[in-house]
Amino acid sequence: MASVHESLYFNPMLTNGVVHANVFGVRDWVTPHKMALLVLLSELGRAGAQLGLLERRRLNRLLLPLLQGPDMALSRLRKAIEECCPHLAGSVHIRLKLMAEGELKDMEQFFDDLSDSFSGTEPEVHKTSVVGLFLRHMILAYNKLSFSQVYKLYTALQQYFQKDEKKDGADENEMELTNPEELDGKMEKEELAGPLREEEIACSGPLSQKQAEYFLSQQASLLKNDETKALAPASLQKELNNLLKFNPDFAEAHYLSYLNSLRVQDVFSSTHSLLHYFDRLILTGAESKSNGDEGYGRSLRYAALNLAALHCRFGHYQQAELALQEAIRIAQESNDHVCLQHCLSWLYILEQKIFDSCVLLEHSVNKSLHFGLPYLASLGIQSLVQQRAFAGKAANKLMDALKDSDLLHWKHSLSELIDISIAQKTAIWRLYGRSTMALQQAQTLLSMNSLEAVNVGVQQNNTESFAVVLCHLAELHAEQGYFAAASEILKHLKERFPPNSQHAQLWMLFDQKIQFERAMNDGRYHVADSLVAGITALNSIEGVYRKAIVLKAQNQMSEAHKLLQKLLIHCQKIKNTEMVIRVLLCIAELYWRSSCHTIALPVLLQALALAREYSLQYLASETVLNLAFSQLILGIPEQALNILHMAIEPVLAHGAVLDKGCAMFLVAKCQVASAASYTPQKKIEALESAILNLNEAKTYFAKVDCKEQLRDVLYFQARLFHTLGRTQERNKCAMLFRQLHQELPAHGVPLINAFK
Amino acid sequence: MAAAAMVAAAGGGDFSDLREIKKQLLSVAERSRERGLQHSGKWAAELAFALEPLPLSELPPPPVLTEEDARDLDAYTLAKSYFDLKEYDRAAYFLQGCKSQKAYFLYMYSRYLSGEKKKDDETVDSLGPLEKGQVKNEALRELRVELSKKHKAQELDGFGLYLYGVVLRKLDLVKEAIDVFVEAAHVLPLHWGAWLELCNLITDKEMLKFLSLPDTWMKEFFLAHIYTELQLIEEALQKYQSLIDAGFSKSTYIISQIAVAYHNIRDIDKALSIFNELRKQDPYRIENMDTFSNLLYVRSMKPELSYLAHNLCEIDKYRVETCCVIGNYYSLRSQHEKAALYFQRALKLNPRYLGAWTLMGHEYMEMKNTSAAIQAYRHAIEVNKRDYRAWYGLGQTYEILKMPFYCLYYYRRAHQLRPNDSRMLVALGECYEKLNQLVEAKKCYWRAYAVGDVEKMALVKLAKLHEQLNESEQAAQCYIKYIQDIYSCGEVVEHLEVSTAFRYLAQYYFKCKLWDEASACAQKCCAFNDTREEGKALLRQILQLRSQGETSSTDVAAPFFLPASLSANNTPTRRVSPLNLSSVTP
Repeated sequence: MASVHESLYFNPMLTNGVVHANVFGVRDWVTPHKMALLVLLSELGRAGAQLGLLERRRLNRLLLPLLQGPDMALSRLRKAIEECCPHLAGSVHIRLKLMAEGELKDMEQFFDDLSDSFSGTEPEVHKTSVVGLFLRHMILAYNKLSFSQVYKLYTALQQYFQKDEKKDGADENEMELTNPEELDGKMEKEELAGPLREEEIACSGPLSQKQAEYFLSQQASLLKNDETKALAPASLQKELNNLLKFNPDFAEAHYLSYLNSLRVQDVFSSTHSLLHYFDRLILTGAESKSNGDEGYGRSLRYAALNLAALHCRFGHYQQAELALQEAIRIAQESNDHVCLQHCLSWLYILEQKIFDSCVLLEHSVNKSLHFGLPYLASLGIQSLVQQRAFAGKAANKLMDALKDSDLLHWKHSLSELIDISIAQKTAIWRLYGRSTMALQQAQTLLSMNSLEAVNVGVQQNNTESFAVVLCHLAELHAEQGYFAAASEILKHLKERFPPNSQHAQLWMLFDQKIQFERAMNDGRYHVADSLVAGITALNSIEGVYRKAIVLKAQNQMSEAHKLLQKLLIHCQKIKNTEMVIRVLLCIAELYWRSSCHTIALPVLLQALALAREYSLQYLASETVLNLAFSQLILGIPEQALNILHMAIEPVLAHGAVLDKGCAMFLVAKCQVASAASYTPQKKIEALESAILNLNEAKTYFAKVDCKEQLRDVLYFQARLFHTLGRTQERNKCAMLFRQLHQELPAHGVPLINAFK
Repeated sequence: MAAAAMVAAAGGGDFSDLREIKKQLLSVAERSRERGLQHSGKWAAELAFALEPLPLSELPPPPVLTEEDARDLDAYTLAKSYFDLKEYDRAAYFLQGCKSQKAYFLYMYSRYLSGEKKKDDETVDSLGPLEKGQVKNEALRELRVELSKKHKAQELDGFGLYLYGVVLRKLDLVKEAIDVFVEAAHVLPLHWGAWLELCNLITDKEMLKFLSLPDTWMKEFFLAHIYTELQLIEEALQKYQSLIDAGFSKSTYIISQIAVAYHNIRDIDKALSIFNELRKQDPYRIENMDTFSNLLYVRSMKPELSYLAHNLCEIDKYRVETCCVIGNYYSLRSQHEKAALYFQRALKLNPRYLGAWTLMGHEYMEMKNTSAAIQAYRHAIEVNKRDYRAWYGLGQTYEILKMPFYCLYYYRRAHQLRPNDSRMLVALGECYEKLNQLVEAKKCYWRAYAVGDVEKMALVKLAKLHEQLNESEQAAQCYIKYIQDIYSCGEVVEHLEVSTAFRYLAQYYFKCKLWDEASACAQKCCAFNDTREEGKALLRQILQLRSQGETSSTDVAAPFFLPASLSANNTPTRRVSPLNLSSVTP
């Protein structure tokens, strides 16, 4: 199960409102765009009753985004108005044209007239309405301008208008280029075009404050939700640098730059940006002392906390711990319980890296609930569930807990956590070996409409939970032999999470695992061996395990055994029970391959006990299969058949195709072996049913393209037909066997002895 | 052309013909002045003044006027007077169409200056916070276009190239600018402005190595200057010494540069004496006096600083340096609000004067206004990323806010910039100590001692660390070194930790049963108030034990002996690489 959570404790600015900082005051500035809006408003007032109801409504709906949105070009504004009311658009344009092509006094007159709309007994605009506030803001801002600023505003307005005009009359301009002066200018431009181009791209026009804010928030949310849609790291950094060049006080840009550096795993610049951000934030925090926020002390705590997060992200756990201690100390000194809760959850994450402890986490969940931090609380619950699932706690309780936290999520519409919860359920079902349940959960998440989509319009599909679910889906498909589908899913993953992104490692691991399985099935051990290195790089334990499997397949028993013993000790130490059982199974297999069935038995029993304890059902049934096989070889096929009944059901319901085939093959073998003591009539019946089972096994093996197993089944079937005296069928099987046998090299283990 | 002749004459990196050099200096001063390049002219004139006066016969002839010069003479004369009155647009208007080199340069230069002036004016009243940073010198692009055309046609003389370089630098085209400045230095090596611009653009020694510079005597001045900038003080001092030996001993420029260099390596006494000498020679000098005041501040020489402040205030109170000196003066008198006010004034006078930001940060720190301090330091870093004082100040601020881990980053930055400055190392060590990272702390203290500890505290701290870790032998070693250090300095200053050192050593020797040494140390202890009783008690014990076991104690071999002389000449001028403190040093 991938650790869904760790990454979520990041991005405090974006989720959960840990750090809300508005670096910019509310001060408004008059810009040409805003003047155009003012003109629109005054025209609206003037038009008054002439407007139809429908037009009026459309305009009103347009106004709010215009007032709050970033500055835009005049042509776009005009288009927007035209869509609502073409008549009004025309009059706005004319008013602007008159102002821009007139004199400075026209603009001054315009502002003088603006304040009239408040006066009178029946004012057009209410003073405290949205529009009224905007008007008053603008009038105030205009009155504050100095003489030269007024003039500058006017020239800016002229440029704003002319730019629009130019666009309209671009063709005419080109015609006029014939006069010599223009030509000269043109030439100069061309000469410069070469070296200046880069520079111009770099500063593609400074952004206005609102635009910059909009740009930042947009990129930040994209980074969080759908990284592929955000700007590429390099170009985003360029934009940010550009932004910072023009306004070094723009603190949020530093934070975004920190997030951006995290994307490319650049520890140096991310630290730099993070600290810079908080240095800047502290300044503004001091200013906002008046609104009861106890000044910059707050941002200090979060600064330390964020630093801890950063170090944790880069795997510097010691440093992270030191930073966290600092954050905790400062938070304690200032009695900030909310911050302390964040620290506590982080402490858990750090402790988790060193040793398992859920005491902290339980504590954190309780306290978070107490302080009304649903996000942290349910994140804690999820971590707890994950941890408990590994520790083998009762499954029903875990599912209950998840259900309860789900209630919490839906109540607070924490869509992110809903996704995680589903992803976690998928993973837990997989852990328990209920592939159908896992499949169902995975499909649920994928086909669910995210809450966020309703709110913002950003499809939230780039999070870790989606990666986890898709990876599981790919593996489930591969297990069922739908390799094309699996590779399709992986291709999709590759597109959605490009290789350098944060969650790319997940699909890389799954991709290699699937390839490994295929190579093993085909008997291409050298290919599998070459994949081991890649798997080890992503997950060392898994890598070692796979290495042992390859060694075992290549009949290098003693090496495999040594490796497995080491792995076993390690896994027992880190309490990775799932892997312990798998290693035990592997060891048992080594024993029976070396014909030491008696030694294999206690190992298998140990594995079985463990699997039962941790309710890892699928592993348990696999162990039972192994056990049955050992019993078969030890000459007690009846007993083997008995316990097989226990395992065959879950295997057929949830198992991989290969396992299903093996199980059926084993059942057939046991049937044949136990038939030896039956009466002839009964014996024939038993053999018939064994043949049927073998047929089933054959289809399963054919699905995953396991030629070796197929060959064994055919051989066995031929022998059975021979015993029954059905020559035609026997010959057919024998022929098929012969074909396969010629294709494949004979392997060392006697045919009948192999179970897998 | 006159310029060509001069270039030929300027060749050769030797100073054998001082008369020739003087001639060149005089003529270039004149030519710079003609073009309105006041600072370069001043520099050349200052240097020329340091040399022996020339007899009438050897004075450089007045520059020969060409046909073109004659044609533009009227326009030039008019425009120059406008230019001197800072009416740049007017000057440019009358110079339009002039073809002679001199007039053309003045034309372009006044356009450039007009743009700069307008830019500065614009910043005051812009239309919003975001626009503030966007104010640009509008003239730069046009100038670049025209100058690049001329440059391609190779029609630019040394001054023209210089201006082209300045324009490129202002457009942030650093690489191109460096090339052009190097070219300018080749064409007209005597023009100090081009060299100075080059100094600002070169960021490290490697870059310097790869420049192909003209081999003239001016190069020596340039190298000395840039070594000072790059904190390669030893090399810089050597260069300046050789320049003095070559005959420039009277140059106030060189004297002030040497003083600054000593200031940079914190050789305060030497720097102070040189500055005093400089003040005697050039009593109305304002340049570099801010550095002088820093030194006076460090030594807490109140009367001297007060005198300097008043003196400078009389000369010109609206100079950045004056404001800075007054700020320092108030700071020394603990009137920090006033000090901050004066630093703010300095910044108003010149927003690019980065020292003031840092100093203002210090003042805010004194006023316990940490957020304002952080702001000031951040500004300083924005102006110059290599300002180690600002990084150090930021570290201190966070340390005061009790965030020892957080401030590590800032101290590390400062340490990287000044690897051989013990103060950062001690600060780092203290932080690590607070974080209980004793190994790192030990490393820091040891390195601080090794690079030459200014405050002499590193060893004591190291010793205490060893004490904490029960490494008594190392602790004793450190205390011994510390005591030797203190006494070899010959300072009689009461060092609080000396008594601690003696007390520890007495105990240590006592434990090792080295009675002689122990009693010697215990006696020393008696000289201090806080350890007197302990010392006496120990002496009594020693006496007792001695009388008991006279024989046994003699044959105990000393675990170590006092090192005869420790390397006291730990000059911090040596360049060392930054300490690698842990695997992660972002």
